[in-house]
Amino acid sequence: MSAFASALVGLVVLAVPPGAAAETFRVDDTAALPSETTALLRWRDFAPSGGAQETLEGSIAVAVRLNLTAVLNRTGRLYLVLPKQGTTPVRVSWATQGRLLPGEIAPGLRTLVYQGPVTNPYLEETLALRIEADGNHLPGMQRLDFFFEFDAD
Amino acid sequence: MIAAVGACLSVALVVGDAGAFTVNITARNPRTIYLQVGVGTFTGGTYNAGGSPANNPTVNVVSVNVPAAQIGSGAAQAMTTNSTASQSLYDNFTFCNLPGQLYIGGFYRSTSNSGAATLSATSPANLVNSTGNTIPFTQIRWTSSGIGDTGAQPFPAGAFVGGVQTIGSISRNQWAESCHSFSYSNSAVVAAGTYTGRVTYTLSAP
Repeated sequence: MSAFASALVGLVVLAVPPGAAAETFRVDDTAALPSETTALLRWRDFAPSGGAQETLEGSIAVAVRLNLTAVLNRTGRLYLVLPKQGTTPVRVSWATQGRLLPGEIAPGLRTLVYQGPVTNPYLEETLALRIEADGNHLPGMQRLDFFFEFDAD
Repeated sequence: MIAAVGACLSVALVVGDAGAFTVNITARNPRTIYLQVGVGTFTGGTYNAGGSPANNPTVNVVSVNVPAAQIGSGAAQAMTTNSTASQSLYDNFTFCNLPGQLYIGGFYRSTSNSGAATLSATSPANLVNSTGNTIPFTQIRWTSSGIGDTGAQPFPAGAFVGGVQTIGSISRNQWAESCHSFSYSNSAVVAAGTYTGRVTYTLSAP
């Protein structure tokens, strides 16, 4: 058992390129501000379809101001992260003004929104979120807590 | 040993100071219901065409003229309706035969699993003519079917009770519909005249 563990550690060390310091930074996005405190979702179809999936949908804008000071002048990938939370299946897609990439995300995943060098300490963008939820499983209010993280090369 | 130190450093960076933004979501209209007895209205086409339900104040009539020789014979008299609703507004499928059947349908939407919506009917004790003669509402009954349907109807056969009664239910996030064929039991001799009474159908969501 001890011998096997030592061999594994050795393999990991060899896999890391010399000089590379790949790090993941949780980005300070405390200045992000949704346009409303709550996104009110409507039934996609006013009447039931008879299918198992009954979708609620709505939209909300979020003014994002990312503090990238910690990764200034570094190159890497910026992700929007939506941790698993709540019990309602949701899917969130968004459009942007061009500084970040549009995309979509589901709980438990992260989506690339920028790749390249960080040349400014702050990045401002507006995300136009479109949220879809399963109407069979949204009895009340649910929180969706997003954050950004940066994988530096 | 070096590998272990590197791993600890990486973890510390991930959980460093940072914020997050929160979006709360909730349903704007957690519950919606639609009920149609006789004619109804969808604006913008049927549901399948993206239409939406609208209010229709029409009160349809179900009636029968009993020949003098048949009064009180006990031979049930089939009733007909002035409703023009033969097609389901769900998809325009021809569901009821006119004029012998009255369309009854609707839907119930809810985000919480608190049970089905209940369809009830409230009928007066009697139909009454202009001189005050009466016919018990219990003399009117119905069978239930729908073109193409093979299973149990959501609003099954029954008879009016001269009061409040349950007609059927609509499960959560479902559309339900039936066609009712009414008949007058004609089991008693009554004075000539036109006897009327109104039944009010109510769909209640939990």
